[in-house]
Amino acid sequence: MIDIPLALLFTSILGAVLAGFVCSTMGVFVVRMNLSSIGYCMSHAAFAGAAFGLMISVDSLISAMVFSFGVAFVLGPLSEKARLESNVVIGFLFSVMIALAFIFLNFIPGQAASGAALRILWGSIFSVGYNDLMFLLLLSFALIFFIALFYKELLAVMFHRKLAESAGVNTKLFYFAVLFFTGFSVSLSLRLVGGLLVFALIINPTSTAYQFFYDFKKIMIFSPVIGIVSCLIGFWLSLVTDFPIGASIVIVSAVLFAFAIIISPKRRKGKGKQRKMGFKLVT
Amino acid sequence: MNVIDLQNVETIYEGESIPVIHNINLTVKTGEFLAIIGPNGAGKTTLLETINGILPYTAGQGFVFEKEIPIYKTAIRKEIGYVIQNFEMDPLAPFLSKDIVMSGRAGKIGMFRFASKEDWEIVWYSIGLVGMIDFAHRPIGKLSGGEFQKILLARALAQKPKLLLLDEPFSNLDFSTRRQIEKLLNRIHEKQQMTIVIVSHDLSFIPSRCSRVIVLDRGKIIMDGKKEKILTSTMIDNIFHKKGVNQ
Repeated sequence: MIDIPLALLFTSILGAVLAGFVCSTMGVFVVRMNLSSIGYCMSHAAFAGAAFGLMISVDSLISAMVFSFGVAFVLGPLSEKARLESNVVIGFLFSVMIALAFIFLNFIPGQAASGAALRILWGSIFSVGYNDLMFLLLLSFALIFFIALFYKELLAVMFHRKLAESAGVNTKLFYFAVLFFTGFSVSLSLRLVGGLLVFALIINPTSTAYQFFYDFKKIMIFSPVIGIVSCLIGFWLSLVTDFPIGASIVIVSAVLFAFAIIISPKRRKGKGKQRKMGFKLVT
Repeated sequence: MNVIDLQNVETIYEGESIPVIHNINLTVKTGEFLAIIGPNGAGKTTLLETINGILPYTAGQGFVFEKEIPIYKTAIRKEIGYVIQNFEMDPLAPFLSKDIVMSGRAGKIGMFRFASKEDWEIVWYSIGLVGMIDFAHRPIGKLSGGEFQKILLARALAQKPKLLLLDEPFSNLDFSTRRQIEKLLNRIHEKQQMTIVIVSHDLSFIPSRCSRVIVLDRGKIIMDGKKEKILTSTMIDNIFHKKGVNQ
């Protein structure tokens, strides 16, 4: 087991828990809207940003954040303007970001600098600082506030956008807000946990929660709970086994998902089991 | 009062040059029960979505509740219950039927406000009206086509709308469910004197309380009059038989 100073351990766990919370909360919307590739897109935006920062000699972490936020901002309006599925626009932005990253890297002399840009893709949970925690904490509160206040609008938009619009809901506003918050969550989590883990934290806990519930409210509650539990178990596993932390959390969340598929009441047949899920068969 | 007033309205889809509907002149008064019929591709859905402002018209002028549609579309929509044409629902979709009915009130309740006890009472009343109380806690994806259609109708009714727009509410339903929904619409119209516009390509399922029929063909209103007169005309026979639509 690795010997880690207590303060560093505490901040790292808190960082992972907060990243788990924001990513798996937004995962509920991402999975419903079929935007699973947003994790790739944002991590490569950060990669391009880091390369740009190195090229113009500014802090690569700041430029990575600026690029990620920029993509988060343009994602919604761009897909609306192009009249394309958001997933297609994510694919387009993903390729643009990789292209930009390579152009920027071309202007940076030396292998070491390129390595610094690439580290953005992997993240480092032990490099978590006070500011990172504060930003993630603020985002967590903002998310709770946003979802609690606009739950009825979000549910209407997630069910059927055109029907929500026909009932007088400003669907564009909420659609953009969801995309923006997702981008924001990914951007803030990225430098702590890296692209791979962000992707896993968005998809796996929500997919696990989907195996148990038909109620959107319950999925909204249990997805972040599963995300946080995955982070904590993964962190412990990493300390015990010396596995990389990101990879441990991914494995734990994947195992939970696989286990959920096996025991999912949604796949069982029979009257009694369906009752347990919160509804009864009407004959 | 005119609930709907369209004057020479034309709607062209973005990126297209040929209008889907054109020269539409239509006036619907409070409490009317109107059916819009026409073969597939006649522009029936486009007309409904032009009325509730989901599709912006490109020429002419349109008023709903005497308010100009493009300017007041959000306010107008809060007073219009819209039942969309039957669509596929993911069987694992994470929504309960009662929540879907409540989502119909989302616009009416307004932003920064939570659903009150009174809102839930309206929701339960609407669910009861369509006879779906026993299905209220069931997942939406687990409902049959007819049950799903009834929940969508309850959702529209939960808005307490002044105008109900129904797009092919009988499609993909068996005979007995069609009859149930037809009876339900008759009852709603009789009790609440609601203005109802129903779109159908099936002439055999026009509710009995519907007194006026409009025939749409190739984006243009070609007939407008009393149901009995329109449905017995030879022109209708020509249009529907030529296009091979069910009768």
